[in-house]
Amino acid sequence: MKILIVEDDREAADAMARGLAEAGHACVQASDGEEGLKAAQAGEFDVMIVDRMMPKMDGVKLVETLRRQGDGTPVLFLSALGEVGDRVTGLQAGGDDYLVKPYAFAELIARVEALARRRETGSVATVLRVGDLEMDLIARTVHRQGKEIDLQPREFQLLEFMMRHAGQSVTRTMLLEKVWEYHFDPQTNVIDVHVSRLRSKIDRGFDRPMLQTVRGAGYRLDA
Amino acid sequence: MRLPRILRTAPFRLTLLFLALFASVAFALLAYIYVATAGEATRRTDREIQQEMRSLVAAYDRAGLDAVNQSLIERAASERPFLYLLMSKDAKRISGSIEESPVDQFGGKPTWTSFSITDQTPHGRIIKHPARGLQERLSGGEILFVGADVGEDEAYVFSVVRALWGAGLLVIVLGLCGGVLMSRNVTRSMAGLTEVLEAVRGGDLAARAPVRGARDEFDDLAQALNEMLDRLERSMAGHRHAGDAIAHDLRSPLTRLRARLEAAYLDVEAGKGDPTHALAQALEDTDGVLKTFVTVLAIARLQAAGAAPDPVLFDPGELAADICELYEPLCEEKGVEFAAELSKGLQTRGNKEFLAQAIANVLDNAVKYTPSGGAIMLRVRRRSSGEVEFSVTDTGPGVPEADRGRVVERFVRLENSRNQPGAGLGLSLVAAVAEAHRGRLELDEGPGKVGESGPGLRVALILPRAA
Repeated sequence: MKILIVEDDREAADAMARGLAEAGHACVQASDGEEGLKAAQAGEFDVMIVDRMMPKMDGVKLVETLRRQGDGTPVLFLSALGEVGDRVTGLQAGGDDYLVKPYAFAELIARVEALARRRETGSVATVLRVGDLEMDLIARTVHRQGKEIDLQPREFQLLEFMMRHAGQSVTRTMLLEKVWEYHFDPQTNVIDVHVSRLRSKIDRGFDRPMLQTVRGAGYRLDA
Repeated sequence: MRLPRILRTAPFRLTLLFLALFASVAFALLAYIYVATAGEATRRTDREIQQEMRSLVAAYDRAGLDAVNQSLIERAASERPFLYLLMSKDAKRISGSIEESPVDQFGGKPTWTSFSITDQTPHGRIIKHPARGLQERLSGGEILFVGADVGEDEAYVFSVVRALWGAGLLVIVLGLCGGVLMSRNVTRSMAGLTEVLEAVRGGDLAARAPVRGARDEFDDLAQALNEMLDRLERSMAGHRHAGDAIAHDLRSPLTRLRARLEAAYLDVEAGKGDPTHALAQALEDTDGVLKTFVTVLAIARLQAAGAAPDPVLFDPGELAADICELYEPLCEEKGVEFAAELSKGLQTRGNKEFLAQAIANVLDNAVKYTPSGGAIMLRVRRRSSGEVEFSVTDTGPGVPEADRGRVVERFVRLENSRNQPGAGLGLSLVAAVAEAHRGRLELDEGPGKVGESGPGLRVALILPRAA
């Protein structure tokens, strides 16, 4: 997919572009807010990565301007700031996700891909399907190969998130943020335990495991 | 030219201001007294002199110089308090009760003058009386002077006014002395504070202002200054310690990381070995470094803000229930029994995000240190004081009483926990969260020793009652 990187730190932007290119994405770089605005208006992008603090026009202003002009491209804010308030202002300005520097690269890729995916599945589906796994969002039931799987409410939310991002890596931090809505890193492997419980429910007794562990990144649900 | 220091102080300037004010009021008062009394006496005297002058002039016009002379002789005998002097055209004395006119310059027009009469008492003392006089040229060219003692009243008023002037001068002199004294007093009181400030500017954060126990505003100021310095010193010490600790805690993983990368690089360069494992480990190390970094930032931010950001009113039981849900499977997996006792319907105010993180940190520690077969209990309750208490009790090894204060400090990890992962920042963050909420952190012994395990640890985060 096509990604616009608006970041004034050349070196960081280059590293980001290289990494994203290796993951199979095409990147365009802009080194300040004004340039970023022009690039965003000129081209079609799947995702924009926007640094919050930049010369000429800061990231928040840039995104506000784009949103006013009706541009709905998903935006991932990057910031050296990380207070709750900063995240909230970023999201209020029209950002879709927020990542605090320094970050693990796997985290960045996972989030960028998650944002792009969210846009693809724009239509409201009442049933999610990944391989032979089926989730009915209204009946709140999950079946695999026609067999009902009994899930706790949180497990259901966790699986829903994984199914919406099937085929992509999702990090532990993403799960904690999106499923539990906590914005901190626990020192213990709490998330791993929840995922392994979920895994035992959806994979045990079936010949092919769906919930994969991605080394150095997190997890992935494969069809 | 620079004034001496003592004359530049605020109290001295205030004294000057008050003296100036006092002087103006005194002057206005004197002027009023003068106009009301002495002025009136002078005017009366002037009227009498004028009357006398008119009757003498009338006598002159009617019967000439001799008639005036005759009148003067008669009047001199009748004890009238007037002074007379009749002079020829060229100002030579013809007759009268005084030798020469007190009018210095006489142009021909009627001229008023104020002068004084010297008198001698029977005891030989010389007394001066204030007097007024009028000099006129008669129609024949002769000059006539009529004067009069302004009387005892005015003399009295004059002496009072003189005394008041003297007193005013005395007040000003005393006022200036008082100003200097006051100024010295204040300067002395300020000197302690100034000294402390200079010392602090010079880098000595241990300097403290003396509190004299007078309970005045200087003591209040000294106390406030000392409290501020206490806080500053703690914070500086915290930062310095954090700097050292960050260097210490980040240096070893960074060194390890570098060594791993270097070894992998050399292996790849020599064409032997697969660097995948080394790289994966390097990534893991990096994540550890980032986690430490994020926690250090959170603590620094809380301490810098001095207060919890974005406080909201919320139910602490619900907050804890969500965290229980997150941690329960982890405990179960470790073979640790998990229980929660959460009071319902409580209200408290704070930053939910930071409080959730604080409780999660305490639970992280409990899970880390409680061996399989142990138990962890999370409790939320309202104390009778109205405070809200979150507490986590475990059956791990606990913390010796002597070390309980220390484990809250940044980066402190007890010797026996060196082999556990974590940067030792968990409880420091909890303490920072408690402090930012004006609450506190309490560490106690857990349920006691049971067989091999125990005595356990009880960590309580206590928030003040919601206002």
